[in-house]
Amino acid sequence: MLPILWNQHEFFLCPEKALYWPDRKMVFLADTHFGKAASFWKMGIPVPGNSTEEDCSRMARLLCKLKAESLVFLGDFLHAKAARTDTIRDTILLWRKNFPRLQLHLVRGNHDLHAGDPWPELQIQCHPDPWGLESFDCRHIPASSAIHPYLAGHLHPSYRISGKGQKPIISPCFVVSPEKIILPAFGSFTGTLKVTKSSHEAIYVTNGAEVIRIP
Amino acid sequence: MALPFQEQAWQAFQDGKSGLVHAPTGTGKTYAVWIPPLMEWLGQQSPKPGKRAPNLTVLWVTPLRSLAQDTALALQKISSALDLPWTVEARTGDTSGSVKLRQRRHFPSCLVTTPESLSLLLSYAGTRNAFSSLTTVVVDEWHELLATKRGTMTELCLARLRNWIPNLRTWGLSATLGNLGTALSTLLGTKSQGILITANQKKKFVVETIIPKDMGKFPWSGHLGGKLVEQVARRIEKAKSTLVFTNVRSQTEYWFNALLEVRPQWQGQIGIHHGSIDKDVRLFVEERLRKGEIKAVVCTSSLDLGVDFAPVSQVLQIGGPKGVARLLQRAGRSGHQPGASSKIYCVPTQAMELVEYAAVRNSIQRMAIESRIPLQAPLDLLSQHLVTLALGEGFSKSHTLQEVRTAWSYKDLSEQDWQWTIDFITKGGKSLSAYGQFHKVVEQDGTYRVSSSNISRYHRISIGTITSDPSVLVTFRNGKKLGSVEQSFLGRVKPGQNFYFAGKLLELKRIANLTAIVSIAKSKKGILSIWSGGKAPLSSELAQAVREKFMEAGASNLDCKEMQAMKGILDLQRKHSALPKMDQLLIEKTTSKEGIHWFVFPFAGRLVHEGMAALVGYRLAKILPVTLTFSVNDYGFHICSNQDLGQEIMNWKKLLSPRDLDDELVGALNLSEMAKKQFREVARVAGLIFQGYPGAPKSSRQVQVSGNLLFDVFEKYDSGNLLLAQAKREVLERELELDRMKIKLEEIQGQELLLKQTRKFTPFAFPLWAESLRTTLSTESWGDRVRKMAQDLEASA
Repeated sequence: MLPILWNQHEFFLCPEKALYWPDRKMVFLADTHFGKAASFWKMGIPVPGNSTEEDCSRMARLLCKLKAESLVFLGDFLHAKAARTDTIRDTILLWRKNFPRLQLHLVRGNHDLHAGDPWPELQIQCHPDPWGLESFDCRHIPASSAIHPYLAGHLHPSYRISGKGQKPIISPCFVVSPEKIILPAFGSFTGTLKVTKSSHEAIYVTNGAEVIRIP
Repeated sequence: MALPFQEQAWQAFQDGKSGLVHAPTGTGKTYAVWIPPLMEWLGQQSPKPGKRAPNLTVLWVTPLRSLAQDTALALQKISSALDLPWTVEARTGDTSGSVKLRQRRHFPSCLVTTPESLSLLLSYAGTRNAFSSLTTVVVDEWHELLATKRGTMTELCLARLRNWIPNLRTWGLSATLGNLGTALSTLLGTKSQGILITANQKKKFVVETIIPKDMGKFPWSGHLGGKLVEQVARRIEKAKSTLVFTNVRSQTEYWFNALLEVRPQWQGQIGIHHGSIDKDVRLFVEERLRKGEIKAVVCTSSLDLGVDFAPVSQVLQIGGPKGVARLLQRAGRSGHQPGASSKIYCVPTQAMELVEYAAVRNSIQRMAIESRIPLQAPLDLLSQHLVTLALGEGFSKSHTLQEVRTAWSYKDLSEQDWQWTIDFITKGGKSLSAYGQFHKVVEQDGTYRVSSSNISRYHRISIGTITSDPSVLVTFRNGKKLGSVEQSFLGRVKPGQNFYFAGKLLELKRIANLTAIVSIAKSKKGILSIWSGGKAPLSSELAQAVREKFMEAGASNLDCKEMQAMKGILDLQRKHSALPKMDQLLIEKTTSKEGIHWFVFPFAGRLVHEGMAALVGYRLAKILPVTLTFSVNDYGFHICSNQDLGQEIMNWKKLLSPRDLDDELVGALNLSEMAKKQFREVARVAGLIFQGYPGAPKSSRQVQVSGNLLFDVFEKYDSGNLLLAQAKREVLERELELDRMKIKLEEIQGQELLLKQTRKFTPFAFPLWAESLRTTLSTESWGDRVRKMAQDLEASA
């Protein structure tokens, strides 16, 4: 975990592709895309494995480690309408039951608008984008000109770093500037978008085990 | 008056036989197989031939969809000249929906189509009925399809057609290959035997080289080679029309612009043609070429094939020939009329290519031509084919296995692989069968079918798009299309930067929604190579001939003007090092500021050398920790280290031993990284990647996924998936030429090591040293590597 100071608050960039706010014991995750594989099955594409189950246990491990009290999903909770199957619901519900006192919030993303809000039994409070939280906003889609600083997802950012004679490495990353933090996608069955660094931004790459700042 | 080989084909056809006709381009192959079915039909008409077009009788498969229309016209012309009521139409991805629908209601007498469109036809239930009158299938340019997945697709389709129509005759047309027997068997499948017909018509091939005036100043390395532009321009001036062939697209762009620079008045009189340029622009260039309105076209293999470009009076080849068959094919584009000789002028871009021209001339004389090896039971294609059949009339398991095994590529298909494929398309493979939510193909009363209309639609769309990578459309701001480029290539150009494309220097404005908006560049500086790779390795046959040339030169036998021009350079090589004999492996060791260089010359082609360099690096790293730099070319490879490892460690026979090759190669190369790339193609063919297309329904976007991600998911949850194994195998075969490497390594064990210590880089070594593409072998962790790269960034900032 790498501490950073952002808008006078201390945050931790977690290699689990999550952001942690210790003052409020709050975890932020973007782009879980639960049930993405199931949407593929429906179209006759046999993507193996159960990424939803695995992502739920990754969430559980992270929450235990941080002893978090609330969790904010920054959009794209479910991948598509086709992801609304009983299996997916039961998998996530099982995770929920392990954290009964955890406060859950979702800022609706573009996929949520199509897929619909999560099942009520998950007890997730849903908010339209943007959702004001103290001095900053929680968004799904990054805004080009926002009044308040914000946290967002949507881009699934990754960064390509290359060295002399070396094969370039592409890793998921956080994009941090005074006005925003863009989180990497949490879902394990999600693609990424290569971003370039502007002068006022900092890039933090992660491989799941550590977080490294790119100058 | 029919030629003897045509008569032979006609007789065989009458006897109900199938076969393969091979002859150089422009010797009347088309007549040999088109006349017989026409004559047969005529013979059945009594007393007078009917006036109505017969039902579908001939299916004509062509590898290129751009050729289909031309072929249809050419065939129609012949039948009309004979006053026969036959109709001939093309059906490809370019054919409009309404025409396709009309055709399915009533097919023409002869349908000209591509492997993809044929496969697509099998996905309709009514096709069997409509095809019942078929007597003949002709596969044109079979050599182009033979060793490709599209060829295998053709085999599977033919297996089905033969099952429907037991007396179906199959005739192939092919250029000369090293393995025509296999080409014939692959075309006909395991159940029938056919006849191989050779046009004895000897076509004369002339290879001539434009020799640089001042060899002393001619470069020893590089591949663009602008030194000879003026000579090339003068050569073009001498003929009515010229095809200027290059080896890669960037070279095409370079030469087109270089020619305009020395002859500005040619603006509008010369054209550029390669696979990325917009179809309409290409058709326009082809049309003008046909009419003789254009002076020259600079092109890649996009113009290797073509029905009839008679007006081409001269052919030029820029850069090395790379293969014997390839040069013959290109030479054949001139002197297209039967009896005329084919001449090709070769233009070197660097000195060593002169030797290759001399070598290729010898190979042509000996007819030592490359073989093309058919694929071995690719399961991606099998699963695609089975879904296609399930969409059509459905299939039964045991009958279809028998049928599939009649296709040459699948003759040894194992029971397990077959069952695995069935499981894959019905249950989604092992890891998904537990969920029971996957139903692509469903079995009912012994028949396998597809029931979901969504799945049917997506499958049909993806049959047509299996071979193409997603590409970015390049247009001007007003929407005028210039062409399309693979996404990954354009990724290297940033907005505001200039690049050469379609013969123009363009500035990239922006990229959005798979479209790159460009404008004509204001400044004159630009990036030339937005394309990388695609360089074919020197073929084994040609490499062998090149070695012979060097050996002859070693014995002071310079038998042609190319070799005589090389005298100065070859003398230098001999003086400072050696010209190796056939049973010698030349190794040069040179010390420079950069460290100790080892240059090894097995003459086995670029790909094999890449594998060898990685293998040597891996084996050295096992003995002691070391950082190495590599480079490779068609003649050899180069390893550089900043420490002298000594003779003891550099035991070359041991380092290049074929022992434990398979295991060590996997360790040496980042095979997983390479397989990832290959998996994208496998996944696309197997229907795992739905690519989308302009105007695709929105729901399709939710099932789009990158090949990389899919590969990772399969590795993790379903590592036994046979498609993964296939991707790895394809990488070893295609990207590393593993079989060729094995043979070479064995050979090296029996060779004499010719170790030379040199003070300066020799003519052999220099191009390897100059080769800019370098790979470093690194065994550091992710974090260490990223931190080091980040430090480098900081240092350079």
